Amino acid sequence: MTSARLTLRLAPGRGWNWAALSGAIALAVIAVALLPAPPLLSTLLRWLPHLAQGFAMNVLISVLAVGLGTLGGIVLGGLELSPFAAIRRPTHWFVQTFRNAPLLVMVYFSSYIFPFEISIQHHYVAFPDWLKATLGLALPASAYVAEIVRGAVRSISTAQWQSAKALGFRRIQTLRWVILPQCVKRALPPWMNLYATITMGTTLASLVGVADLLNAANNASAAVHSTNFTIVVYLSILVWFFLYCYAISAVTKALERKYAFH
Amino acid sequence: MPDAILSQLIGAAKQAGFNYAFINDGYESGIWAEGLLTTLEIAGLTIPISLLVGVLLSAAITSRRNWLALPARSFIELTRNTPTLIQLYCAFLVLNMLISNALQGAEHNPLTPFAWVVGVLALHIGAFHAEAFRAGIEAVPGVTTEAALSLGFSQRAIFWRITLPLAFRFSLPSLVNNLVNLLKLTTLGSAIAVGEVTYASIMIWTQHDNVLELMILLLLFFSALAYGLARAGHWLENRLRIPGYDVG
Repeated sequence: MTSARLTLRLAPGRGWNWAALSGAIALAVIAVALLPAPPLLSTLLRWLPHLAQGFAMNVLISVLAVGLGTLGGIVLGGLELSPFAAIRRPTHWFVQTFRNAPLLVMVYFSSYIFPFEISIQHHYVAFPDWLKATLGLALPASAYVAEIVRGAVRSISTAQWQSAKALGFRRIQTLRWVILPQCVKRALPPWMNLYATITMGTTLASLVGVADLLNAANNASAAVHSTNFTIVVYLSILVWFFLYCYAISAVTKALERKYAFH
Repeated sequence: MPDAILSQLIGAAKQAGFNYAFINDGYESGIWAEGLLTTLEIAGLTIPISLLVGVLLSAAITSRRNWLALPARSFIELTRNTPTLIQLYCAFLVLNMLISNALQGAEHNPLTPFAWVVGVLALHIGAFHAEAFRAGIEAVPGVTTEAALSLGFSQRAIFWRITLPLAFRFSLPSLVNNLVNLLKLTTLGSAIAVGEVTYASIMIWTQHDNVLELMILLLLFFSALAYGLARAGHWLENRLRIPGYDVG
């Protein structure tokens, strides 16, 4: 018994899953306990499609923002590793500034600075709010990715470059077959952490009127206008995000253990 | 004299196409200065509270008592894996409403939006601190605590006087990182009408349409604060360094 407890404490990987599961169950119990009457549950089920639509928006924004951020961040990370100070320095300042920028400020910024429609040769194309929020999140995401890329490349020892050269690899071959495969392994866990962070940041878009999950919950709460339903709907979206982000973080931890180097 | 220089700077900015005229407007510059102060107040209050929360939570999760460790661990996982804005809404819209109802009317509720922001951010960042402390606690060599035990220290004394001071040193870089995140999260106050610097900026740019100008000020402000925190962290790290106990 004692030794079993000891393992639970000393092996964080297994202990964490266990504890988080118990947390999720506890939350589910709270949610059910807060459902004093069946009508509340059916009301929640009636709002479920609206909420699911909102969550789809969160997923869309997060995937696009991290995708764009990754492309931009790889370029920025490469520039940060440039041997020329004239390129390295400004990139470094750019990355530091946007790493320190609050996500909410970036979301507000992009939602106010971009026009609501763009004219392309007398054709007006709408510039929807969700796309503005995506761009607002993609900019800091690119700064985070730049740091991840830089860290990953830096973490590969110069001996690897030298041995590859000694084996007759050209520089581009070394990069392709020796350095980058190792970088991907090292950058993957922090990159997934970033994805989870940006996903949680997508709820900020609700503050500039994007129809996301939090916005849907606000709508539902206002329309139903009952204390019990308000409690249930906000706790539900909390659990909703928890399940999504916890799954990502569990995979990240598994990858970290798999790719750990000793 | 400083006023004249400021006016000249504002004039020069106007030449360059930047509208910083609000700085000369006593009312609007007052709103913005108050916003800056409110942000600093939120951060100043939340930093010590979050550290205290972090210490208590880390003590709980490293405890041998499961009834203490499991709820603390669940709380940390829940906090780390849910959006801070939803946490704030759950606290401000749900808990606050329940408290108001229990006290028969919002006018009897002593908790302001400001208090909720401080509370939620302290608990949120406290959970991240706890993880940093836990890693630090695990880095403390077992022989050190065993030596303390053999010298007759109680478990509590070992935690507060041996483990924690060493763990604090090991976890300092992560703590500073968390505090920078805390600074950035103070902007969430604007979501529940706390007049911090983002909220004040929105009030000004909706009047003058000078979003870019205020955004530059905001980015400079947050960069300066983050830089200051990082420098303070480095200074503390050097000051507290114990020879032979460097990590990394």
